[in-house]
Amino acid sequence: MIVFDRVWFSYGANQVLKDLSFSIDAHEKVAILGGSGVGKTTILKLIVGLIRPDSGRIIIDGEDITNKSEDELREVRLKFSIVFQEGALFDSLNVKENVAFCLREYTKMSEDEIDRQVRELLRVVGVEEAIDLMPDELSGGMHRRVSIARSLAACKPKMFLYDEPTSGLDPINADNICRLILELSTPPSPPLSKGGIEGGRRGFIIVTHKVFDAIKVAERFMFLKDDITIFDGSKEELADTTIPEIQSFIEELRFKHQGKQ
Amino acid sequence: MKKTDLKNLIIDLQDFYLLSFHGLLGIIKKPFYLKETIEQMDYAGAGSSLIIFLVSLFIGMALSLQLSAELSILGLKMYTGRVVGISVIREIGPVTAALVFAGRVGAGMASELGSMILGHQVDTLRVFGVDPIKRLVTPRIISSLIMLPALTIIGDAVSLFGGYYIAVFVSYQSGSYYWGSIRDILTFENVFAGSVKPFLFGYLIACISCYMGLSTKGGAIGLRRSTTRAVVTSMIVIIVSDFMLTRILLYVLGFSV
Repeated sequence: MIVFDRVWFSYGANQVLKDLSFSIDAHEKVAILGGSGVGKTTILKLIVGLIRPDSGRIIIDGEDITNKSEDELREVRLKFSIVFQEGALFDSLNVKENVAFCLREYTKMSEDEIDRQVRELLRVVGVEEAIDLMPDELSGGMHRRVSIARSLAACKPKMFLYDEPTSGLDPINADNICRLILELSTPPSPPLSKGGIEGGRRGFIIVTHKVFDAIKVAERFMFLKDDITIFDGSKEELADTTIPEIQSFIEELRFKHQGKQ
Repeated sequence: MKKTDLKNLIIDLQDFYLLSFHGLLGIIKKPFYLKETIEQMDYAGAGSSLIIFLVSLFIGMALSLQLSAELSILGLKMYTGRVVGISVIREIGPVTAALVFAGRVGAGMASELGSMILGHQVDTLRVFGVDPIKRLVTPRIISSLIMLPALTIIGDAVSLFGGYYIAVFVSYQSGSYYWGSIRDILTFENVFAGSVKPFLFGYLIACISCYMGLSTKGGAIGLRRSTTRAVVTSMIVIIVSDFMLTRILLYVLGFSV
């Protein structure tokens, strides 16, 4: 579904991605790992066409989106459900209005229908009680959950994109978000289908620097360092790798795991 | 100026032109965001009226006081109303209201949009297929185009009353003569010249502030920078465009200098 073909990207003089190539299928559960500033979030923005590469091609569902106009990109963006870091809720709207944003924008649903749909989506992500709160009254975990509910209302995504979904959260909340990410990617259980969410296995890309959370949810791991991918493989390959940077991440994981026990 | 600076300046001007053009075009293009426009009008208009009232009142009083003193020396004190009226209606009223508007509303627009950029809210709009210029810039342009002229009218009236108070109760001039002088200068040319300016100023303030807000980069410092740039640029542009517009209007309306 997603193909990066020799993509280069820089912010001014700061080279962020160098000759990056990979492909990801719609059903894959991928974690993109790496330290701060290596271009993890940039990859998500490139996928949905929020920024354009300096060179190279980005192909979505066989379509080259590299030079598409903003109007043409609208169709491409609706194939994804993206949850930005910190949730990116509209802070002038309450939770209900945030989740209802796209329902009002694109559908002719009645107020009652919108209310019902919003409540169902909030129930699916476990924050129904927050329906009348403003974003600044929500905890970090609730913020992410509402953001996920809003992105579900936006479209019928083929794939989810999560930008640091567990950063800044305590371990319990981070665990709950990881569970929600897995629930949404597997064929729908009854509560999800009731929420108006279509069936079928959908993959996701999770961008994070928290290996512990990534291992809980993902099946394929990409590790970025110094503008390039230094690792692309499965969980088992990740555990057996001899790449020093990744080993130090794994050590961190083991340390945390032992600390928990 | 370095080559890259010049290139960046040209890119900035091009982006500013595109934002201003598409923002204005949004007024006649669907979808229409009525609720957002009314919210912006409330913030820009109702929220600024007290400040405009106070500033205009004291400017009118100070102007009348100064002119009465100067004109008394020349034995022309009875012209206070006329000079106050011309100054307020053609120049000081529109410029004062615009400067206050830029300081309060322009800064608010830039900081609000800047924080939306930093919080990825504008990116979210784009991902949802919503045009940020249509949704965020056009309502602000409409509200400025309506509210700044309205505030200017209120400000002009308050300034003239301030001038009247000083002329009558401090300078002991005839109140009816003061209002008679004001009525005499309320010609089509003067009223037209005074009412064209707020529309242009409102449009420029909204476009500059939105552009600065939407080009925010670099966290809290970037937000501070873009808000400051929005206010400073708006103020300079108001003063410069006021001079140019005055020159054009004098020429068009057949005044000789």
